[in-house]
Amino acid sequence: MDILDALMQGFATAISPVNLLWAFVGCVLGTAVGVLPGIGPAVAVAMLLPITAKVEVTSSMIFFAGIYYGAMYGGSTTSILLNTPGETATMVTAMEGNRMAKSGRAGAALATAAIGSFVAGTIATVIVTLFAPVVAEFAVKLGPPEYFMLMVLAFTTVSAVLGKSTLRGMAALMVGLAVGCVGLDQISGQPRYTLGKPELLDGIEIVLVAVGLFAVAEVLYAAVYEGRTAEARNPLSKVYMTPRDWRRSIPAWLRGTAIGAPFGCIPAGGTEIPTFLSYAMEKKLAKGDNLAEFGNQGAIEGVAGPEAANNASVTAALIPLLTLGIPTSNTTAIMLGAFQNYGIQPGPQLFTNSAALVWALIASLYVGNVMLLILNLPMVKLWVQLLKIPKPQLYAGILIFATVGAYGMRQSTFDLLLLWGIGVFGLLMRRYDFPTAPVVVGMILGPLAEAQLRNAVSIGEGSFMVFLQRPMSLALLVVAVAIVVLPRLVRAWKRRK
Amino acid sequence: MTNTQKMQSAVGAGVLLIGLALAAGALSIPAAAGYGGVGPNFLPWVVAVSLIACGVLIVREALTGGFRAMDPPSGAERAYWPAFAWVSAALLANAALITTLGFILSCTLCYMLAVQGLRRAGGQAAGRPVGLAIDAATGAAIAAPVYWTFTKFLGINLPGLTQSGWL
Repeated sequence: MDILDALMQGFATAISPVNLLWAFVGCVLGTAVGVLPGIGPAVAVAMLLPITAKVEVTSSMIFFAGIYYGAMYGGSTTSILLNTPGETATMVTAMEGNRMAKSGRAGAALATAAIGSFVAGTIATVIVTLFAPVVAEFAVKLGPPEYFMLMVLAFTTVSAVLGKSTLRGMAALMVGLAVGCVGLDQISGQPRYTLGKPELLDGIEIVLVAVGLFAVAEVLYAAVYEGRTAEARNPLSKVYMTPRDWRRSIPAWLRGTAIGAPFGCIPAGGTEIPTFLSYAMEKKLAKGDNLAEFGNQGAIEGVAGPEAANNASVTAALIPLLTLGIPTSNTTAIMLGAFQNYGIQPGPQLFTNSAALVWALIASLYVGNVMLLILNLPMVKLWVQLLKIPKPQLYAGILIFATVGAYGMRQSTFDLLLLWGIGVFGLLMRRYDFPTAPVVVGMILGPLAEAQLRNAVSIGEGSFMVFLQRPMSLALLVVAVAIVVLPRLVRAWKRRK
Repeated sequence: MTNTQKMQSAVGAGVLLIGLALAAGALSIPAAAGYGGVGPNFLPWVVAVSLIACGVLIVREALTGGFRAMDPPSGAERAYWPAFAWVSAALLANAALITTLGFILSCTLCYMLAVQGLRRAGGQAAGRPVGLAIDAATGAAIAAPVYWTFTKFLGINLPGLTQSGWL
């Protein structure tokens, strides 16, 4: 029972008072940013990246994981109580959750979301515990060509599959890759795109891009376009589930977990597909009165299933992050950046080189789930108060935090100017519906992918054929091409029929 | 050509220009591939060429009926530019003044300017002395604890007006 031993070691570290405190603060902060519109886990982690300079690595990763997790719980509160869907992950929850809240059942919706998140999060953590070491062991055998193709796969899904338009997704990815190129080339030491500015030799900080694209752009967007948008808030009812609610929720949670977890495990990312699948499945399985509630008073399965699927896939996404070093969402990409700030490169060696860190992090997920359940069920009324903060003050306050993140990293006013520039860029991206995740993933994964590409081609003695000669990299290449080409072929074929 | 189409074409042209600029920059990166076969200028060229292609295709989409697979953007149809000016002024003033005024005062000013813009965007009254005083107090009430938390507890360097670490 190596795994159990390791996990127990992890618990020993994770429940030390200091780490418990970090986990708790992370969960509180995460829930808060999840509840607050206009700010999400990615930007919260990004703003706090400067702490990696001072705080010990285990504590800060536990802290970031708490934020990552907490935001998932908090996000569902907002999507049920406000009529504006927040991030895509909770859009599905909002469909039925909103209807339930309108017909006076907000409490039941919040309860099924929180308990479902707990159930799914815990099951998925067990999956991470059991499978991450296995995947790591397997991943040791992968060479640069396979790694490069895995990254290409991640790029393709993040840019082409998850967004609405492949073209705009690709453009966003390329911008991210270009940003990743700025600075000294890691292999040859050549400066690239530095425009002669010494500030740019180190490259552009992740914090700047994330905070600029998510926080500053969001504030600008709210000011320029959404000043007059009125928000309707649904009344909160008693947080309570009837026996019938339980009977309907439990199978939906389990089915949601079963759909969500595998999606998180593959280095493709996105919670949209599993949550929509879970929603469709629940609707299909519902009968009689339950079915009639879908789209009318709101069906509790329609909240329970997708919410569980969301949390399961978000948790399982830690497997590709920790074992392959491949992030598949904004937040995991920024967490990868946090690891890099400590000089740690997540990947198969992480489980041997930094075993203590990894297991403490995994153990903290169990602890965090329990904390979040307590924070979100009995105390949901407190969080709802956050929704009362008026928009001008909220968004202006976000700018103060943005300054801390952007300036705290390098103490450079040049970065603050750049932050504004990136914010304006993000405003345009938001208005013209360019996805932002490809920019962040491209920027962080780009330099890693480039290094793997160059290693792979040297293994192939300068020939790109190396990607076709190795079965595994060829298979990955075929998959990556297929997920772009197949949907188009099917559409074209349907049109002809 | 409708206004939306004009704007969308401009966005596509912007992508195209970024691609061209990156290509121009890639020209000055040496190819020195060593025995690897792929040099430091390989990825920049891939990115530049792809962005040029994306730019051309986006312009084409814009001219032939607008962006595909696009939901109408949220919020108002027309931009409210004065708010943009206020929020931009907030950020730029912060960049200009943070080292001289210190974090707390500079961020309070940034907060006040941004709130002005956001209030006006929402059609609220702004600029009354009482309101300004309340905004200044709120901004300072956010900025000061943030400053203390980050400098005192987390040991992050943020500029102060004095050397005391409290202001």
